Amino acid sequence: MKMKKIYSCLTIVAMLVVATGCKDFLDINDSPNNPLEVSPAVLLSNGLGGTAFTDANELNKFASTVMSYLTGTAGQPAQYDIYNTTGADFGNQWNFELYDGALISYRHLIDRAVETNSPYYAGIGKIMMAYTFSLATDIWGDVPYSHALRGLDDTQPRVDKQEDIYKGNSSLGIQSLFDLTREGLADLNATSSALVPGADDLSYGGTIANWKRAGNTLLLKLAMTISKVDPTLATTVINEVIAGNNYIVDNAQNLRVAFGSAVGSQNPIHQYVNVTSFRDEMIVSTRYLNLLQGLNDPRLTLLVTSPGSKYTTLDNGYRGTLPTPSTTWSRWNTSITGVGGAGPVRLLTNAQRAFIMAEAATILPGVTLPAGKTANDYYQEGIKAHMAEVGVTAAAVTTYFADAANASRVTLSGTAANRQQQIITQKYISWTGNGLEAWNDWRRTGYPTLLPHQNAVGVDGTRPVRAVYTNNEISRNPNFQTGIFQNVRVWWDVD
Amino acid sequence: MKKTLLFFFALMFSLGAALAQDRVISGKIVSREDGSGLPGVNVLVKGSTQGTVTDADGNFRITVPTNESTLVFSFIGYQTQEIAVGDRSVIDLQLESDVHQLAEVVVTAQGLERDQRSLGYSLQSVNGSAIQQRSEPNVLNSLQGKVAGVNIVGSSGAPGASTNINIRGVTSFNGSNQPLIVVDGIIFSNNTNLTTNSLFDSQTSNRLADINPDNIESINILKGPAASVLYGSRASAGAIVITTKSGKGKEGTQISLSSSYNAQTVYGLPKFQNEFGQGTNNDFVNTQVNSWGPAFDGSLTQVTTLQGDVVPYEAYPNNVVDLFNTGSIFQNTVSVTTGKGDNNMIFSVGNMQQKGIIPNSSFGRTNIQVGANSKLNNGLKIGGNLTYALTTQANAPAGNGGSAMGQLYRIPRSYDMVGRPFEDALGRGIYFSTTQNHPLWSTKYEVQESQVNRVFGNFNLGYDLTKWLSVTYRVTGDIYVDNRQNRQAIGSNRSATGNIIIDQVFRSEYNGDLIFTANKDNVFVEGLTVGGLLGWNMNQRYTYNPQFTSTNLTVPNFYDPSTATTYTYTSAQLIAKQRLLGYYGQASFNYNNYAFVEFTGRVDQSSTLPAGSNTYFYPSVNVSFVPTDAFGLESDILSYLKLKANYAKVGRDATPYQLNDVYVQGTFGNNSAQVNYPLAVNGGNVAGFAPNTRLGAPALTPEFVTSKEVGVNIGLFRNRFGIDFNYFNTVSSNQIFNVAVSNSSGYNTRTTNIGKMTNKGVELVVSATPVKVGEFKWDITANFTRIRNVVNEIAPGVTNAPITGNAFTGITPSIYVGQPYGVVVGAANARNNVDELLVNGTTGLFVPAVPNTVIASPQPHFLAGINNVFTYKNLSLSALVDTRQGGQIYSFSMADLRNTGMMKITGVDRDQPRILPGVIDNGDGTFRPNNIQISSQAYWQGLGGLASEGAVFDATVYRLREVVFSYNLPRTLLSKTPFTDIMIGVSGRNLWFFAPGYPGDPELNTQGAGNIQGFDLSGPPNVRNYGVNLKVTF
Repeated sequence: MKMKKIYSCLTIVAMLVVATGCKDFLDINDSPNNPLEVSPAVLLSNGLGGTAFTDANELNKFASTVMSYLTGTAGQPAQYDIYNTTGADFGNQWNFELYDGALISYRHLIDRAVETNSPYYAGIGKIMMAYTFSLATDIWGDVPYSHALRGLDDTQPRVDKQEDIYKGNSSLGIQSLFDLTREGLADLNATSSALVPGADDLSYGGTIANWKRAGNTLLLKLAMTISKVDPTLATTVINEVIAGNNYIVDNAQNLRVAFGSAVGSQNPIHQYVNVTSFRDEMIVSTRYLNLLQGLNDPRLTLLVTSPGSKYTTLDNGYRGTLPTPSTTWSRWNTSITGVGGAGPVRLLTNAQRAFIMAEAATILPGVTLPAGKTANDYYQEGIKAHMAEVGVTAAAVTTYFADAANASRVTLSGTAANRQQQIITQKYISWTGNGLEAWNDWRRTGYPTLLPHQNAVGVDGTRPVRAVYTNNEISRNPNFQTGIFQNVRVWWDVD
Repeated sequence: MKKTLLFFFALMFSLGAALAQDRVISGKIVSREDGSGLPGVNVLVKGSTQGTVTDADGNFRITVPTNESTLVFSFIGYQTQEIAVGDRSVIDLQLESDVHQLAEVVVTAQGLERDQRSLGYSLQSVNGSAIQQRSEPNVLNSLQGKVAGVNIVGSSGAPGASTNINIRGVTSFNGSNQPLIVVDGIIFSNNTNLTTNSLFDSQTSNRLADINPDNIESINILKGPAASVLYGSRASAGAIVITTKSGKGKEGTQISLSSSYNAQTVYGLPKFQNEFGQGTNNDFVNTQVNSWGPAFDGSLTQVTTLQGDVVPYEAYPNNVVDLFNTGSIFQNTVSVTTGKGDNNMIFSVGNMQQKGIIPNSSFGRTNIQVGANSKLNNGLKIGGNLTYALTTQANAPAGNGGSAMGQLYRIPRSYDMVGRPFEDALGRGIYFSTTQNHPLWSTKYEVQESQVNRVFGNFNLGYDLTKWLSVTYRVTGDIYVDNRQNRQAIGSNRSATGNIIIDQVFRSEYNGDLIFTANKDNVFVEGLTVGGLLGWNMNQRYTYNPQFTSTNLTVPNFYDPSTATTYTYTSAQLIAKQRLLGYYGQASFNYNNYAFVEFTGRVDQSSTLPAGSNTYFYPSVNVSFVPTDAFGLESDILSYLKLKANYAKVGRDATPYQLNDVYVQGTFGNNSAQVNYPLAVNGGNVAGFAPNTRLGAPALTPEFVTSKEVGVNIGLFRNRFGIDFNYFNTVSSNQIFNVAVSNSSGYNTRTTNIGKMTNKGVELVVSATPVKVGEFKWDITANFTRIRNVVNEIAPGVTNAPITGNAFTGITPSIYVGQPYGVVVGAANARNNVDELLVNGTTGLFVPAVPNTVIASPQPHFLAGINNVFTYKNLSLSALVDTRQGGQIYSFSMADLRNTGMMKITGVDRDQPRILPGVIDNGDGTFRPNNIQISSQAYWQGLGGLASEGAVFDATVYRLREVVFSYNLPRTLLSKTPFTDIMIGVSGRNLWFFAPGYPGDPELNTQGAGNIQGFDLSGPPNVRNYGVNLKVTF
C-alpha cells in the first residue's frame, strides 16, 4: 500500500463512523427498565393496594393499639400502646403508601382515563382519591390536598385546612371531598367507557354498579365524620344519599381490597399478625376480650384466636413479663387476616353504612330514614351484617337475637347519647381489624368508652387524637406547622 | 521503565547507522549508581553516523575505522562520555547519572509519551517493580502509601474485597469518584458492581483486581483534571494509566518467570477479656450474647448449654481468633517476549490462588495475554493486545446481626466456639442462640460466589503521514460477565427457608479513537517546538444485570433453583446503556526545553443528557518553566527548578435514564408487612405500576469540576534531594443530584443540577539519597497529602442529603453544608453549650441523643508515607511506613465488642462502680458534675450502642505497610547457566500497626469501593501477609 492509499483509507473509516448519524447514535436514553407510559388498569390496582396498606398496615397497628383492640408488647406498637408517637413515625406511610403510593397513582389514573376517554376509570379514581384523602386528613388534620400531587409544578405544596378539604373553599380553589366524590359518581354514570376495569379492579372486578354504591356510602361516611362540627351539611348529604337509594346494602357490595395467600401478595394484617418477626409485637387486648365476652358475642371465636382453647391476652399498657411461648397468644383470627393472608382489607362496609344511618337518625334531627325504617332497624342490621361478614351462621345470629339475655344489647334504648353509645360500641366491634375508622368514631363521639391505658405517657397522658406530621415532610416543606402534637384535636373533633 | 523507554528511543535514533569497518571494539556499560548493565546506550563514532546501542545487559560491539576514533557514549539521563579508542579492544565504562537531566519519559493522557519536565500538571509514575512481588494480589492495595494525593482504602482482609481509591478528594456528590483506569489504551472497568445490599453481603471485588500485577510495566497517575482532560468526562476524578509489559525495546527472546508464596493471618482484632463469661448482670444466661456473666473465679465451674449439655464454665481466650484460618496466596506468572526493532510480541500466563482467612473463602485469578506490534514495510504500524482473565471469589456474607462476622463480635468469652460442634448430623446449626447462626455454620452454609470471565484488548493502526504528522486509530474493548450466586441454606437466620440468588452482571465497553498528532521543531523561531493533536472518540458502555431469587428450598444443602418453591425477579436498573462522542485537541509549545505551554480542549456529546443540550466543551491550559535552564541558575546546591501551573475544567455527564419520568412496578409496606406486584389474587395475577418516586430532569446539564493548581519541582545537591510540591484548588459545581421534595407533591426526589463542593489540597513528594557510599545506597521517598474538602452548598433550603447507597436508618452517610463529603449523620450525645455531655440525674446515663447531627467524618486530616530503600551490591531492602491521621470510623464491630463485654477494657475492675463522664442539668441553667455510680455493664453499654456516637472512633493509624528484601544473584554466577537474572526475596505487608484511638485496625471499609466510606459494619478484619518471592529471567 502506498501512503496516499492508507491515508484515504483511514479517512474513509473515520468519516464512515462519524457519519453513522450522531443523532440516532446518542438517542438511547429512554429507559428499557421501566415503562414511560402505563395503562389505567395497572394504576388502579396499584392505587387500591396503596389505600389498603395505608388503612391496614402501620397506621392500623397504631390505631388498633390506641383503640384498645390490641396491646403492644414490643417495638413500635408498645410505644403506641402508651400513646407515644412522634414525627419519626409513619414517614413511610405518608410517603410510600399514601401520597407517593395510592394518591399519585389515582392522580395519574384520572389523567390517563381522560386521555383514553375512559370515564369509568376516572370515576373510580376520584372516589378512591376522596376516600384516601379522607384517611390523610382524618389522621393528620390539615394536609396538602388541592395543591398536592403536582410533581415539579409544586414541590412544596400548600397545606389545606381540614375544613376546606371537607367543605371546599372556592376562593382558594379547593374542591370539597363531597364534590370530588360526586364528580366520580357522575363519571360512573357515563353511558360508555373506552377502557373498562376488570381483574385490575381488586375491589369489585369491574362491576361499576358496586362502585356507585361505594361512592354513595363514602358520602355517608364523610358526612358522619363532620356531623358534630357541621350537622347541617351532614344532614343534607345524608338525606341526599338516602333519597338516591344507591348505597351498599349487602356485604357482597363492601368496598374491600383483595389480597392473596402467596408470599408478596398477602394481606398486611396477616403478615404482621402471623408471619414476620414483628408478629410478637402485639397481642389481643384483655379489654377487647372482656367487651366481647361481656356481650356474650358469637363473633369472638371468629375474630380472636384461642390457642389451646384458651384466650391469652394482655391489658393495654401492661409492662410486665410476657406470656411464653408467643404461640399461645391470642391474635386476630382468619376472619380478619384471611386464611394464609388471602383476606381482603375492608374500606367501606355494609355494617358501617347501617350504623351510620342508625346514628344519623339518632343524633341528626333532620335526617329522614327510608319509609318505615327506624334507627333500631339499622342498628340491628349493622350487627347482623357484621356477624354474617365474619362468618356467624344465620342460625346463630337468629339465636343470639332471640336470646332474651341479649335483648338489651341488640335494642337501642335510653337517651340519644345512650343510643349513640350503643351504636358506636357495636360499630367498634364491627371495625375490628380496622382501627382507623374506630379511632375516627371515638374521637368524634367519645364512644366506645375507653379507659386510659396503663403506664400511659404520650404528651400529657391522654389518648392521641391525631398523628404528628412526619419529620421528613417538616424538613422538606416549610408550609407544615411544627409543634402540633398528638393531643391537638382535628377540626371535626369538637366537644 | 525509564531505561526501557530510553532504550526504545535510542534504538530508533540509531537506526540507519552503517556498519562495515576495520576494528572491533566491545565492552559493557554499567550504571555507576548500582553497577547494573545499561541497555540501549548509544555508542557513536564521533563525527560519523556510525553507531550501535548496548543490549539488554549493557554489552556492545562496534567496529571503528581507526585508532584515532573517539567513541561517544550517550544515554538519556546519564552524562555523555567520550573515550578515545587508542589501541584498546575492550572498553568497559561506568556512566554517571546526569544531574542536569531529571527528565523522565512518562505516559500521559491518551497514551502520549512526554518528558516529565514539560508537564504543567501533576503526574506520579510508579514503576511496575514497585508493585510486584509485594505480598499483595490487588494492584490498588500495593499503591497504598506510595502516591501523593491519592487515598486508597481496602474493604477488609476478605479475599478479593474491593479497594476504594480517590485522587485529590471527592469531586462529585453522586457520580463515581473512582478515577478512570486505562490499561494499554483500554478504558478498563474498575466497577465494584454492588448489586445487592452492601450492608449485609460479602464484599465483591473492584474489577481492577482482574489485572495481574506481574504484567504491569508502569503506572502513571494523572492527578488533576488538567492531566486527564483529554480522556474527557470519564476522567474528572483523575486517571490511572497502566502500561503492561510488551516486547517493545527488547532485542531477542526473553522468558521470565515470577513466583511468590504468601501466608496470610488475621490481624487487627482488639484484645479480649478473659475474666467473665456468658450472661448479664453477673448471672449466667445460656442464650445471652453478652459476656457480662459471672467471673471465672471458681464459683461457677460448669453450666448447661441451650442444648442441655453440661460444659465447663471457663474462658476460651482464642475463641474469636480461632475462627480464622491461615490463608495463602500463591502467584505465578510466565511471560515470553520476543522482538527485533519495531516488531515484537508478548505472551504471558499468570495464575493466582488465594485461600482466605475466613473458612471457605477464596480468590483466584488466571490471566492469559497475547500482544504484538509490527511495522510493515510500507510504514504502517499495527499492534494489538488481547487478555483473557478468569477471576473467582468466594466469601461469607458479613454485616450486622445474622452473619458469620456479625455473630463473631458477639461470642461470649465462655463459649467454646471451635471446640464444640456447630451442626448436627443433618447440618442443622447448634448455637447458643435460637434465632442466629453459629459463625462456623454461616461460613459453611452461607456462601457468596462470583466467577468473572473477562476479555479486554486493543487494536492499533498507525502511520506517519509526514515526518511531523502521524495518525493513529485505536479500537479497544473490555467485556466481562460476572456470574454470582448467593446461597443461604435452610435454617439461615436471614433466610430461614433457604435462598439462592442468581445474579449476573454483564458489562461491555467499546472505544474508538482516531488521533492525529503533529510535532515540528523550530517553528517561527529557532528553538520553538510546536506539537498538536486532534482526536475523536466514540464510546459505548452497556450493563445488563438480571437477578433471580429462589426461596423456600425443599432439599437441604442442594442448591438448584428447581428445588425452590418461590421465585422472585428483582429488578433494579437492569439495563444501562450510554454512548459518548468526544472531539479533543491539544496544542503544545516548547521553547528551548525550558518553557512550555499547552492548551487542550474537549467537546463531549453524551447520550445521557437532553438531546438538544447534550454537547459541552471544556478547556485546560498548563505551563511549565525551568528557570535553572532558562537563566543558567544551576549550581551544586540548586540543581533543578521547575515551576508549573494549570487551570482546567472538566465536565461530567449523567448516568443513563435520569431524564424521563417512568413508572415502576408497585410495592408497598415496610419490614413488618410487604406486597410486591403483580399480586396473586382471586386466582390470577394483577399487575400494578406506580409513578417512580424520582422526578426526571428534562433539562439536565453536565456537572463540572474546575481546578487550579500550582507547583514546584526542586532538585538540590546535584539532585540528591528532590522536592515536588503541588497546591490545588478544585471546585465542583452543578452537581447532578436527587434533591428531596415534599412527599405530598406525589414524589420523593427530583433529579437536578445543584450544589457546590471544594477541595483544597497540598501534595508533597520528597526524595533523597542521604547515603551513598561505594556500593551502599540509601534512598528515601516520602509523600504527604492533605486535602480539605467542604460541601459549600446543596440546594436552597437543603442543609443535608443522604449519599446514594445502602445505610442503616439514623446512620446516614451524607453531604452536609459546611462539612466534608461523606459525614455520618446520626444521633449525637446531648451536650450543653460548653460541650459537656449531659447525664440524666436519676439514671446516671446519658440523656436521649440528638438526632440528625453530624457525628463522624471519614476524611483523614492528612496521609503520609515514607519509603526507605537500602541497596548494597545486589541486595535491596525496602520498608514503607505510612500513616493516616484523623478522620473517623463508624464501627459496629467495636461497639458490639464493648457492649457485649468482650473487649479487654470491659473486664478491668468490673466489680467496681463507674461514672459516665458528663454533667447533670440542675434545671436552673447550671450544671453539676455527674456523680451517679452505675455498674460496669451499665457504663460500657451506656457509652452507646450501634446507632450512637459511641460507635464512632478516631481512625488515626500508623503502619509498617510493606517490607521487601530481595537479592539478585550475581551475573558472574549465572554466566554458565541459561539464566540472565535470578532474583529471590521475601516480603511482608501489614507487619505492624498502631492505632491510638481504635481498639483494632481501623483501615477498613465494609461498604467497599464507592462514595460511602468510613464504616466497619461488622465486616471481616484485616490481614497480614508475608512470603517468599522468586523471579527468573532467561
